[in-house]
Amino acid sequence: MAIRVSENMKFNTMVNNLFRVQDSYNEFMENMATQKKINRPSDDPIGMGRVLSLRKSKASVEQYSRNIDNCNSWIEITESKLYSVGELLMDAKEIAIAQSTATASAETRSISAVAVQQIIDEMLSLANAKYGDRYLFSGTMMDEAPFSSSYTDNSRIGNFIAAGDNTFDGDVTAGGTYAGVPYVVRIVTGGDLGEATYEVSDDGGNTWGPSSTVPASGTISLPGGLDLTFHNNGTNQLAAGDTFSLHTVEAAEDNTFDGDVNAGGSYTGSQNKTFVVKIVDSGSFADATYRVSSDGGKTWGGLESDLDTGTITLGDGIGLTFTAGTTDLTADDIFYVNAFTPGYYNGNSEEFSINIGRDTSFDYSISGESIFTENAGGSVDIFKILNDLKDSLEADDPDGIAAQLDSIEEASVQVNENIARCGTRMNRLEIAENNMADLKYNLTRLISNTEDADIAEIATRLAMKEIALKASYAMASEMGSLTILDFLK
Amino acid sequence: MSSISLLNTAREGLSSHQTAINLTGSNITNVNTPGYTRQVAVFSSLGCVNVGAGQVQLGVEIEKIERVYDKFVGVQISDKMHDLGYSEAKKGILEKVEIIFNESEGNGISELLDKFWSSWEDLSANPSGIVERDALVSAAQNLASIFRSSSAELVSVQNDANTEIAGLIDQANIYMSDLADLNMEIGAIKTGKGDANDLIDKRDEVLKGLAEIFDFQHLEDSNGAINVFLPNGMPLVIGDRIWELDVEANPANSSFYDIVFKDDSATVLNDTVTKGKVAGFLEIRDNKIASYLNDLNSLAASIIAEVNVRHQLGYDMDQNLGGVFFEPATEAENMWVSSDISEDVNRIAASETVNGDGDNAKFIGAFKDEFFMNGGTSTFNDYYASFVGKVGQDLADEERGLDHHTNLMNQLINKREGISGVSIDEEMTNLVKYQLGYNAAARLCNVADELIDTLLNLVQ
Repeated sequence: MAIRVSENMKFNTMVNNLFRVQDSYNEFMENMATQKKINRPSDDPIGMGRVLSLRKSKASVEQYSRNIDNCNSWIEITESKLYSVGELLMDAKEIAIAQSTATASAETRSISAVAVQQIIDEMLSLANAKYGDRYLFSGTMMDEAPFSSSYTDNSRIGNFIAAGDNTFDGDVTAGGTYAGVPYVVRIVTGGDLGEATYEVSDDGGNTWGPSSTVPASGTISLPGGLDLTFHNNGTNQLAAGDTFSLHTVEAAEDNTFDGDVNAGGSYTGSQNKTFVVKIVDSGSFADATYRVSSDGGKTWGGLESDLDTGTITLGDGIGLTFTAGTTDLTADDIFYVNAFTPGYYNGNSEEFSINIGRDTSFDYSISGESIFTENAGGSVDIFKILNDLKDSLEADDPDGIAAQLDSIEEASVQVNENIARCGTRMNRLEIAENNMADLKYNLTRLISNTEDADIAEIATRLAMKEIALKASYAMASEMGSLTILDFLK
Repeated sequence: MSSISLLNTAREGLSSHQTAINLTGSNITNVNTPGYTRQVAVFSSLGCVNVGAGQVQLGVEIEKIERVYDKFVGVQISDKMHDLGYSEAKKGILEKVEIIFNESEGNGISELLDKFWSSWEDLSANPSGIVERDALVSAAQNLASIFRSSSAELVSVQNDANTEIAGLIDQANIYMSDLADLNMEIGAIKTGKGDANDLIDKRDEVLKGLAEIFDFQHLEDSNGAINVFLPNGMPLVIGDRIWELDVEANPANSSFYDIVFKDDSATVLNDTVTKGKVAGFLEIRDNKIASYLNDLNSLAASIIAEVNVRHQLGYDMDQNLGGVFFEPATEAENMWVSSDISEDVNRIAASETVNGDGDNAKFIGAFKDEFFMNGGTSTFNDYYASFVGKVGQDLADEERGLDHHTNLMNQLINKREGISGVSIDEEMTNLVKYQLGYNAAARLCNVADELIDTLLNLVQ
């Protein structure tokens, strides 16, 4: 059966086919230009989803590599400092061996004492080294240098510090607002208020000013508008060697509570800790409730409401006394107190950590407490040993000197252990780094497979489409030229 | 049988063939007129009369001028137009949506989300670093900004669909009124026993235009008028009477249009149209884009909530408990970094303790691997990736649908052309044929004339 063919049919069919060929052609052109198979989500929805997931994984991997690099730098520097510490200990050991024999004399010993002091100073600067803005060996406490040059006999409680926008604004035992150098007040001769004498250091305890008498009122005034008030409400008098250090007191800008807060008591804990008090319900002392944290604010104890008297106990012998001002305590006010054990160390035992893989946190810093003190895994207090050595040398005491030899040996072992720790950590990081490099390569390959166009294939297809297009154009030009009109007279 | 009657026969032949030639001419000149159906002259014999013992042929006449068309193909084309309009409308709008979420070049939400988590990781490596804090705020602001702009662009596409609806309803009203006018004219001509062929062609075109806009039922009544009804039976055009449509603001969302009758704005007709462009725009506006907005808002709200919760557990550089990191919001259009943090980067709570340990930042950085979405089964990035896939799939589906309908439509059009279209070859041959007939009839005139002459000259 013959089908009627009208003019419109012929032209419609030809035009539609032309469009179809051109559409394919354009598609291949685009793929060539962008070198990608997937130029928009509708080209391949599943592929696009997969590409996005892969890209995210790749970005993760790159980030982890960066983190690993950061760790590596930190650990390398830590290791090199520790090597130097080890060498200093060797020097101290040689001195100790030499000076403990009978061939040494009081003179040699006192000269050696000076040498040991230099070793101590050198070690102090190593222990207080920084990487960027952070101390290498201070745990996570960044307020002050981790090691002080002098031994603090008594456990010490830092002044409370109120968080930046507490609305409770208090004066500390130290009156006034001050920001800057940590003042240290040391009792020279003990006694009652009015009799005891003290001296002040304005550089954290390295150098001391002249001594003066503590007035009977108990208030010492310090430069910069600070004053320190000793309240005679304990049983003990001020004793020689008692040291009080004042930390930076932030007068919180948004604080509205303007009463006093005193930290008091004596710290009975075995490690340096940061106690934090968080106000939960606002109100007057009778109404307010609070919680206490002994690990710097991470975990909290139960809800307490015994603020009525204004004095609360934080644990381990520390108390905090609030004196009301004009504004009440408000929820989320934060107060924290650093508590220190006797010794040279002012940091804590926390370690910095960072993510080096999915669900993989890596501790990369080693706290000074583990390295230089007998707590947190260590066995000897290195600074104490060196200072004892120096004292023995100055006192011309060969037995005392000999007694330090074993301790110095133990100290060397302690330092070496920590150097080994650095080594194992770096090994682990290297493995992680290699993993990351592998992953990155594989991810890049997967992304490319899904998304990139195979140029050779596209070029061939393009050539084929071009031929089809040319054929269509040739047909189109023929279309109009063959009609019956040419044959009718 | 007289010579006069022969003359008459010749005259009939001449005029019939003349008409046929005219008709062929009209077909030829209308070869490119859209929607033109060719017309053929139907020759029929005038019969014969009994005269005495024999019969006399009376000649030929054009019985009628027939319009060659297939009604059923017309109905099929009209139906297909509904589907075509529907797919076309949806594809057009979805293409605009795809542009918003085209992640193929990067720099979209996916990449900015990656950079956001990275900044938290960098901060955890140096918790007190001002540079890292600034970088984090900047990454967060970029993220919030792209969420806001994506949301705004989606809403704007929604409004585009809305505006189109209004335009289409106006167009539909014009078509319907044209239809009514044509109905009237065709009815008049038919009662006058005439042929309204070209008016019928015009009416078919109007119907086709209307079919693209929304779906309807139509039937021809006894007066030759085409009556149009909505799918639920409500009348739109009956004879020369129309029920105009209008748009009015939707009570729930005043910037969206509802379709109503002009005279009866209480009945909302949105659900009665299921195909055609209007239905396509309605579907996209009310269902598809609404669901995309929902997904986007869901993602933004979750990110805001989770980051805020964790941020408020940490401590900032001034030992304060963290405040909110993002302004609390449930919609992507309201995603902003908290102004407190933008002004003072020290307020970023990077640490878990009051000492600067950076663990809180580390925790938040690991959120990229946590399953917060889809009831605890997808990460944020996975959720977004599948969202983009969904947009792409919806568009790909529409493109395929449109392709399919277009192919079918082309076939139907060709079929109609095959029946009703003008073929120059055929018309040319017809021209030759009719011209021959005309020439022959003219010759007959001559012969009849000679016969009469001879007869007259018989009697001198």
